Formats: sequence, C-alpha cells, structure tokens
Amino acid sequence: MSKIEEVAKLVEIGKAKLVGKAVQEALDEGCDPQEILNKGMIDAMAVVGEKFKNNEIFVPEMLVAARAMKKGVEVLKPHLASGATGVKGKLIIATVAGDLHDIGKNLVAMMIESAGFEVIDLGVDVSNDKIIECYRENPDTKIIALSALLTTTMPALRDAVDALNKSDFRSNIKVMVGGAPITQEFADEIGADGYSEDAASAATLANQLIGA
Amino acid sequence: MNSRERFIATVERKPVDRPACWLGDPTPEAVPALCDYYHVDNIKELKKVCGDDFYAVEIPYKSPTCSAIFAAFDWYMNGSNVDTEHRTLTADGCFAQCEDLEDVEAVNFPWPDPELYIDPEECRRLVDEAPDDKVVMGMLWACHFQDTCAAFGMQTCLMNMVAEPEMVHYVDDHIVDFYLKALKIFLEATKGKVQAILIGDDVGSQRGLMISPALISEFVIPGAKKLIDLAHSYGVKVVYHSCGSIVEAIPLLIEAGVDVIHPIQALAAGMDPANLKDKFDGKISFCGGVDTQDLLPNGTPEQVAAKVKELRTYFPTGLIVSPSHEGLQPDVPPSNIKALFDEATKIYE
Repeated sequence: MSKIEEVAKLVEIGKAKLVGKAVQEALDEGCDPQEILNKGMIDAMAVVGEKFKNNEIFVPEMLVAARAMKKGVEVLKPHLASGATGVKGKLIIATVAGDLHDIGKNLVAMMIESAGFEVIDLGVDVSNDKIIECYRENPDTKIIALSALLTTTMPALRDAVDALNKSDFRSNIKVMVGGAPITQEFADEIGADGYSEDAASAATLANQLIGA
Repeated sequence: MNSRERFIATVERKPVDRPACWLGDPTPEAVPALCDYYHVDNIKELKKVCGDDFYAVEIPYKSPTCSAIFAAFDWYMNGSNVDTEHRTLTADGCFAQCEDLEDVEAVNFPWPDPELYIDPEECRRLVDEAPDDKVVMGMLWACHFQDTCAAFGMQTCLMNMVAEPEMVHYVDDHIVDFYLKALKIFLEATKGKVQAILIGDDVGSQRGLMISPALISEFVIPGAKKLIDLAHSYGVKVVYHSCGSIVEAIPLLIEAGVDVIHPIQALAAGMDPANLKDKFDGKISFCGGVDTQDLLPNGTPEQVAAKVKELRTYFPTGLIVSPSHEGLQPDVPPSNIKALFDEATKIYE
C-alpha cells in the first residue's frame, strides 16, 4: 500500500490520531502535497460519502472520517499553496429564517468542506439580509446552500431563494436547497439551481453546479 | 368500547370497534385556529370534543432553574440550556473538551435529583384531572440519547460513540438513572391511574438511521429497556417515539419490549404502512402515520380521510391513528384534523 493509499484508508476509517503521522511520512517520501490532498483525502471522503448514501455507514462514522481529514490537512497545509484546501471556491450555507434546525445542515457543510470547498456557515434562523450581506463581503462565493426542516419554514426558504433570484449578483452564484420536507419539485418551483436529499449528494451537487 | 378498552385492544392487537386516536401535542401556534374551528376555549376542551382517546400528562418538574423535565439538565452549566425555546443539541456541552473518563468526572456536573424536583402530590393532582375513560399517558420523553448528545455537543458525542465510548456511557448512565428515578416517582404516585408512558429518542433521518443498528444496541436500547421494564412492572404500556426512518431499529425496539412505535414518519424511507405491515405485522403496534410533511399541511380533507381509510385497511387493529408528528404546526388546516378524526372514529360495518 502506498503512503497516499494509507492516508486515504486512515481518513476513511476515521483514525484522526494516526492520519497526521501518515501524511508526514507521505511528505517525507516526496509525495506531491496536492496529490495527498486530492487522492488521500478528498477522494477518500467521496468514498465515505458514497457509503453513507448507501446506508453502509452512518453519521458517526462520517464525522470521524471528516475529523481525520481535518487532522491530515493541518499537517499538509504548510506545504500547500495558500488557499489550496478550499480550492473549489466559497460556499455560504444557512438554515433559513424561523428555523432552528441544524443537524442536517451541519452534515452538508462538513461533506462540502471535505470535497474541497471553503464553507462559510451562517448557522440557523438566518435572515435573507444576512445571507446577502455575507455574499457582499465574499463576492467570490460560488454557491449559496439553504436548508429548511419544517413545513412552516418552507415559505421562508422560498423567500430566501426569491431574494437571491432578484439580487444583482444572481448570475454569479448557484443556489442549492435541502431539508427533510424539500423535494426536487419544490426546489424547481422556487427557482433554485439544485436540490439534494443527503449530505453526500449535496457534495456531489456542489461539484456539479460549479462544473468541477 | 371506551378509550381505555380501545387502547389496550389496539396495543394487544385484538379486535377494536374503531382505532384509538391521538391528536398529539399541537404547537402553541397551532392551537388558536384549532380551538376556533371546534368552537372551544382551550386545548383541553379541544381534545374532549375532537375524538381524542388520550389524556397526556407532562411529568411535573420544577427546579430552581427549570420547569420542564425534558430540559432538566443544564449542559452549559450556566442556566441557559434549561431555556426550552433556545436549547440545542449541537452547541458544545460541558463535556465537549473531554478526552477521557477522568476529564468527564472532573467536570463535576451537578446531576439533578428528581426527588427534589418532582412532587408526587402534583403528579396525583394532574392525573386525577383526566376524564375517567381516557387513556392517561405520562409524557416522560426520557430522551437519554439526545440528552447525551447535548451534553457533549451532538457531533462530538457521535464521534465519541465510535472513538471514546466509555465517556458516552458514563454520561448516558447518569441520565438514564435520573429518568428511572423520575418515572418511579410518577408511577408510584399515580399507581393504577396511568395506562401508558411516552418515551423516545430521535434516531432516524428522512432517509435512514442516523446511527448504526450496532450503536443503537449499545447506546440507546439498554437505557430504553430499563425504563420499559420499570413501566411494565406497574402494568403501564410504553409508547416509543422516534422521528425519521427507523425501520432497521424496530426489531431492536420490539426485543426491548416496546408496545407501540410512534409516530411513523410516513414519508421517511420505508415508513409507509405497506412496508411496516409486511415486516412487523403482529409483532408490535403503531401510533401515527397520517403524514405531516405534505398531506396534512397541503392536502384536502378528502385526501386526509382517504389516507386514514387506507391506514385502517392495513391495520384493522394495532394502529393508533395520529398525525405523523405530535407537534402539529400552524400550517395544518383544522379541517384536515377534523377529517382525520371523522374518518378514524367512524365505526365501519
């Protein structure tokens, strides 16, 4: 097993305490840092996401994998070009106004971050103004991802997407939505660019939306 | 049949005149429109007139900082977690930074003593208010897995379950002990007057289990079983709540002795009545099933009635008809609730 394969395996099974050492060994052997990131970590997390999607593993296993990746990235970061870990660009994520639920949103944020995006998490019960303000502060944002868990906050999701659709920067961003009661049909109806039904698919969708 | 006879027959999957029905626990925002529609002044009156077979009693809990048993633990050790409006599972709890059992013990968490904060007299008084023939259901909740998640912060807790399980067991054991003591006080004070308790832990998402069946067996079932055994020792049935798709966990709950699974989140993966009937017919009873994610807020009364009829066809007994989440939201038209009860309370020839 190559060192990069070893890193990938440790990320996949969530061995945070061992992955840093393996990354260092891979660097010492002269492996390309960017390749360690892409093949040892981002690809490993894609495998994790796929297993999660197929109910082969569950949330805890996915979380320990993401934590292991973070530990690996800490060791790798000084060897990467500045900003290389969020190389796919910025993504703003939030649960919409009136909705306090964040477990699903947090999982989505984690998987998208693990897929190579820089995630700006605005938390829960986020107003449309705050989302737009965040974009203005981060005009290089590529995607805005919004979540609603309650049927009673689906109108707030509609309003948030509507506010983005009317904004002068709409053509610069993609909008993706999700949450338990949300469907592809509803996403289409409110004018979002994409919908996904789980965290792993959200990472795939984010890649698709930016053509990665 | 009166409500209690109907409930017991439903739980034991014996013939019923019509299914038992439960309105659930509508959110405060949903109550005014329901009361207006039924021309009553308050939720208690509403439950009397709508056809509800249940009378739910919250376990009375009053500590210096908190007045709800489901928020009894001050996980941030600053009084804020007992604010039921703003508490969360995901923020870091007081055990968030712990790396081993010694760290957990060093937090020196002030575990609350239910004997100080549950008044047996108040338990009796609340239960005595119940109409004679209704099913009295003690709402203990006892969400020990969710409490444990809040104690660490959910993500940290879930990772610890895999990487440092003994820390999680330590906290969970203390929480389970608290709920066991609380339940004993309640059942002892109301002996013979309570027919059911509701306990539970959310372990499902829309598409499947959040944690593996193995972790459910290790962290959720043992505590649940202790509570179930205690309730059964008083002749009290146990309704077990978990949102989401929990098909894979139901066999574990059956083995633990659960009498009724609630709320059958109808649109979650595999939670449709056909699949539940196919997999678990005759092994356990259910409560819920009338979808709250689309049908009740967006459907017509005719569609709601048709769904209830379909549910009754799948489950001529063994099903308490109820919304698929107890916390009805204000976007559910009261006419749909009326349609639910009208169809559920019909005596079919």
